[in-house]
Amino acid sequence: MSPGVPLYLALALYAAGTLTVLGSLVFRAPRLQHAAVFLMALGFVAHTVWIGVICTMTGHPPLTNLPETSSFIAWTILAVTLALWFRYRVSAAAFFVYPLVFLLLGISAVIQERFEPLAPELRSNVFIAHLLFTTLGVAALLIAVGFTALYQMQERAIREKRRGALWDWIPSLRLCDQVSYRALSIGFAVYTIGILAGILWSYRTSTTTLTPGVKEIAAFVAWVMFAALLQSYIAGSYRTRRTLVIAAVAFASIMVSMFGIQHV
Amino acid sequence: MALALVGVNHKTAPVDVRERLSVPERDLDAELEAVRGMAGVDGVAIVSTCNRVEIVTSLRDENVVEGIVGRLASRASMERSRVEQHLYILRHGDVVRHLFRVASGLDSMIVGEPQIAGQVRQAYHAAAGLRTLDPILRRLWEQTLRVAKKVRSETGIGDHAVSVPYAAVELARKIFGDLAGLRVLLVGAGKIGELTARNLQGSGLETVFVANRAFERAEELAAQFGGSAVHFDSLPSRLVDSDIVIASTAAPHYVIRPDEVAAALARRRRRDLFLVDLSVPRNIDPDVAKVEGAYLYNVDDLREIAGANREIRLRKSDAAEKIIEREVASFLERMASEEAIPTILELRERLETIRAAELEKCLRRIGPVTTEQRAAIEMLSSGIINKVLHYPIVRLKESAARPKPEGAEPIRDTIRRIFGLR
Repeated sequence: MSPGVPLYLALALYAAGTLTVLGSLVFRAPRLQHAAVFLMALGFVAHTVWIGVICTMTGHPPLTNLPETSSFIAWTILAVTLALWFRYRVSAAAFFVYPLVFLLLGISAVIQERFEPLAPELRSNVFIAHLLFTTLGVAALLIAVGFTALYQMQERAIREKRRGALWDWIPSLRLCDQVSYRALSIGFAVYTIGILAGILWSYRTSTTTLTPGVKEIAAFVAWVMFAALLQSYIAGSYRTRRTLVIAAVAFASIMVSMFGIQHV
Repeated sequence: MALALVGVNHKTAPVDVRERLSVPERDLDAELEAVRGMAGVDGVAIVSTCNRVEIVTSLRDENVVEGIVGRLASRASMERSRVEQHLYILRHGDVVRHLFRVASGLDSMIVGEPQIAGQVRQAYHAAAGLRTLDPILRRLWEQTLRVAKKVRSETGIGDHAVSVPYAAVELARKIFGDLAGLRVLLVGAGKIGELTARNLQGSGLETVFVANRAFERAEELAAQFGGSAVHFDSLPSRLVDSDIVIASTAAPHYVIRPDEVAAALARRRRRDLFLVDLSVPRNIDPDVAKVEGAYLYNVDDLREIAGANREIRLRKSDAAEKIIEREVASFLERMASEEAIPTILELRERLETIRAAELEKCLRRIGPVTTEQRAAIEMLSSGIINKVLHYPIVRLKESAARPKPEGAEPIRDTIRRIFGLR
C-alpha cells in the first residue's frame, strides 16, 4: 500500500474532526462533539495503518525524521485523549488536542521525506530506545501542559465565581490535576531515560567532542521545564501563574527541538 | 381510535384543587382499573404528582371524556363545574405533544427539572403492570421516555442547578468530580445547611461531621446523616479531614478564619477545600477565598449561580421545543400509517380478487393467447388497479395523521363503505 493513502485519509478525517469539534464549541452542541470523536477515532485508525506501513517499509519505529516524529507524537497524544474521553468523558481537551494533532500530522504531510531503512551505523537498540522514549516523553509533556492549562482556566473561573468559556466542557479540577500529575511523573521518567540513551549512543558512536546544537539545547531546556513542572506539582504550587509560564516555555522548547530535527 | 388527556397542573389549578384531584399511590391501581373498565376506553395511564394530575386514555368513543371528567369531580367531591374551570382536555396530536413536553420538563414549574421524567416512567410501569395500556398508549409512552432522554442529552436542559443546595453540589463536582468517598463538615444546624449536606450525601458523599455549639443537637443531626458529631472547638483540626465545609450557624461572627484554613491546607497536600457559607451574618471570613486551594462561596454567590442557570435553561428550552415538534410529527405520521395499514391491505386484496376473476373471464372469452399476450393483459389490468388505488391510499394515510373534523365521517370508514369492505 502506498503510504500516502492512509496519511491523507487520516489528515482529512482529522480536519473534519477538528472543524466539527470547533463547531460544537460555537453552537454549544454536545452531539457535534460525539461526531468529532467518531471522526477522530476513524482518523486514528487510518493514522495507525500509516505508521504500520512505514514500520514495514523501513523496519524501525517511525521516529527518525521530523515527519515521522511529528506523526508519532500526534498519534500518542490522540490515543491518550481518546482514552480519557471514553473513560471520563473529558470533552474540553478536544478543543486543543484535535487542532494540535491535525497540525502535527499536517507537518508530516507537508514535509515530504523519504522513508528509508536506517543507515547501518544507526541500527542500534540504544538509538531506537532514545527516539522512542524521548518521543513518548514529549507526548506526555504536551498532555500535561494541556491539562495544566485547562486546570488553570477552570480554577480561575471557580475562584472568580464566573462561568468560564469552557465551564461545561472542562472536567473537574481533581481530574485535570491527576492527569497532569500522572503524565508529568511518567513522562519525566521516560523522557529522562530517552535523553540518557541518546547521550550513551552519542558517546558510543562519536569520536569527537559533542557540540550541542539548537535541537539538543531545546531538548535540555524542555527537560529542565519538565522537572520544574513536576516539582511544582509535588510541592503543591501548581496553581500559580509561574506554572503556566513554565508550561509555555516547555511547550515552546519542545516545538523548537522538534523543528530542529533533521533526518538523522 | 383516539387519544385524549384530561388533567390539571400547577398552571391551571391552585394547590387545594390539585391535592383533591390527585391520585395517591395507594389508590392508583383501583383508579386505573376503574377508568379502563369504562365503556369505550381501550387503554389508560395516570400521571399524578404534586404539580399535576393527568389521565391519558386511548378511546373508541370520544364521548367517554365526559365520563372521565365526571369521575374526577366525584372522586374529589367537587362540583363538576368547579373542576371544569381548572381542567384541560387535549386530543390526539396535542396529547402526544403535551406528554413529550411534560416528560422533558418543559411544562414543569422549574423548567428542565429531572424528577418528572422518573414520575412519567413510574406512571408507565404502574399502567403496564396492571395491563391497562393498549398498544397505542404503550408505544406513546415508550416514545415519550425516549424523547425525554433525547431532549436532555441533546440540549443539556437539566444540566445546571437551579436551587442553592444543588448549585453547591454542582460546584463540588466541578472541583472534585466524583463525590464518592469525600467528607463533609457541617458547621451549625441551620435548615439550609442541613438540606445542602443532604443533597451532597445523596450524590455519594461518604462521611458527614457535624459541629454545633449545642453538642446534643450535633449528635442528633449526625445520627440522621449516619455521621459523627464533633466538638465546636475542634473545628480547625477537622478542616484537615474534610473536603467540603458547610457553615450555617446563628453566630454573629466568623467561626472559620484564613489562618486556620491555610494551616489545614498545608497539611492536606494537593487536596482542595470547598467552603460554603450559607449563614447571614457570614460565618467564614471572606479572606479565606484568598488562600490557595480554598474555594469559598456564600449564599448570594450560590443564588446568583442558580438564577443564571434558570436563564440558561429557558434559553435551552427553545431548542427542546424544536426537537419535540419534530418528534411529534414523526410519531403521528408513524401512528397514522400503521392505523391505515389494515384498510389498505383489505382494499388491495378486494381489488386484486376482482381483477383476477375478471381477467379469467376475459381470457376465456378471447380464447388461446400467447404467453406474451397474457402477460400484457395482466400488466394492463394491474396498472389500472394501482392507478385506481393510488389516491384512496394517499388520502387514507393523510387523514389518519390529521384530527377528524367534528361530526365528519372518517375517510377510512367512507372508503370501506364505498369498496364494500367488512
